[in-house]
Amino acid sequence: MNLSVRKIVISGILGAITILLAVTRLGFIPVPTPAGHATIIHVPVILGGILEGPVVGLITGAIFGLFSFLQPGAPFFADPLVSILPRLFIGIVAYLVYFLTKKVDTVVAHTFEKPLLNIKKKMSPGIAGALSKFNGILPYLLGGAFGSATNTVFVLGMVTWRGYLPSEVSISIGVLHGVPELIVAAILTVILVKGIQRIRPTEDKA
Amino acid sequence: MELTKNITLGVYLPGTSIIHHLDPRTKIIAAMVLIVLLLFSRSYTTYSLIFLFTAIIVLFSGIPPGYVVRGLKPMLPVLVIMWIFQLFLFKTPDTTILFEWWILEATEAGLHMANLITLRVLFLFTVTTLLTLTTSVVNLTDGLESLLKPLRMIGLPSQELVMTLVIALRFVLILAEELEKIVKAQMARGVAFDQGNFIQKTKKLFPVFLPLFIGAFKRAEELIVAMESRSYTGGKGRTKMKTLQMSRADLAAAVVIVTYSIILIYVIVTVEPVI
Repeated sequence: MNLSVRKIVISGILGAITILLAVTRLGFIPVPTPAGHATIIHVPVILGGILEGPVVGLITGAIFGLFSFLQPGAPFFADPLVSILPRLFIGIVAYLVYFLTKKVDTVVAHTFEKPLLNIKKKMSPGIAGALSKFNGILPYLLGGAFGSATNTVFVLGMVTWRGYLPSEVSISIGVLHGVPELIVAAILTVILVKGIQRIRPTEDKA
Repeated sequence: MELTKNITLGVYLPGTSIIHHLDPRTKIIAAMVLIVLLLFSRSYTTYSLIFLFTAIIVLFSGIPPGYVVRGLKPMLPVLVIMWIFQLFLFKTPDTTILFEWWILEATEAGLHMANLITLRVLFLFTVTTLLTLTTSVVNLTDGLESLLKPLRMIGLPSQELVMTLVIALRFVLILAEELEKIVKAQMARGVAFDQGNFIQKTKKLFPVFLPLFIGAFKRAEELIVAMESRSYTGGKGRTKMKTLQMSRADLAAAVVIVTYSIILIYVIVTVEPVI
């Protein structure tokens, strides 16, 4: 396996953002639950997967995991099976979901080009204009959502499997934290991808 | 908001003890062995042995024991919650009930499970803390690079992987400065980051995240050009200014770790697990 300079640098810088969000606590959202805060620290990992492909997603996830293992925010993250292993999958899942949705999206848009155009013609220009803003964001939205869900489900799954928390507790944390995390991560992914694509020299290599 | 001031990357405590002077590779391997052994420990006997061993390491490292204990403090609330959950919710069919309270009942199995899980997490945390307290980040990455080198043979680009880690660590401080500028610029425009409910607070983060990421990606593009124009070709044939050297102390440490592991494995295998 060969790593290009591009992959090395982008994974490194996204890893830096991950660490930064953790140490400044900027990546924590204060959610009104007894357990405290939800996290969006995994967003750079999702971005790595979507923008640069599964390898960058994997490496960024590994940096995220390694850091949360060495400076654990909660006691059970001192177990590498909880802190490192689940994080390796975030970027890969985000990439796969993004890639598949994009394929399906293009195929659907291509086959139904004519009927879709007809529907658009019948709509008032205001609604059509608003809808066109959502053009092509579905792959990013779903990639972000599934990446975030991977983090929640795999981490809490490992926490339960390793016996640190009973399953009832894990499930309620998953719902209380996972859902707001998922929504914020999905929206952030769309905004950030759209912003970053503007300054990138090449369009979307992934 | 002074973001750059309270960033501590790793909690390295400089010192001159034997443990500080050990080769980082020895320490990484020792920590890994201890972690694996901890994951298999299921009796109070093994945990008392592990306690004894970690206490000896702390003694030799010259780190004030109070310092290690203080590091555990922020973990305490979650540890207590974990212990209570296990006590009331973990059950086996043939166990005695210790006491009942409202609809909850604490069982003997629950008590043992709660104790074991808490001890395991406590010691896992202590082992990783001891590693980062006695080893600087630079030494850790050097050690990691050296340990991963053999994996090159199966095609894993070990040096490049460590390079990403080094870039990440180097860029944390640079990006922190940038982040501080962004946050201050937003505050000057009247954004109050600590006010409002959680939806409002989250919304305020978006205008911080976008410039942060765009700035980071601009820096990434610059760094890519800089590295490519200097023909960076990865780790192949690359030499180091400081090479790691194993000393006699490392050999002694290795002997200690091996002996200890053998004793612990023997105890893990022979002593009946409590649950």
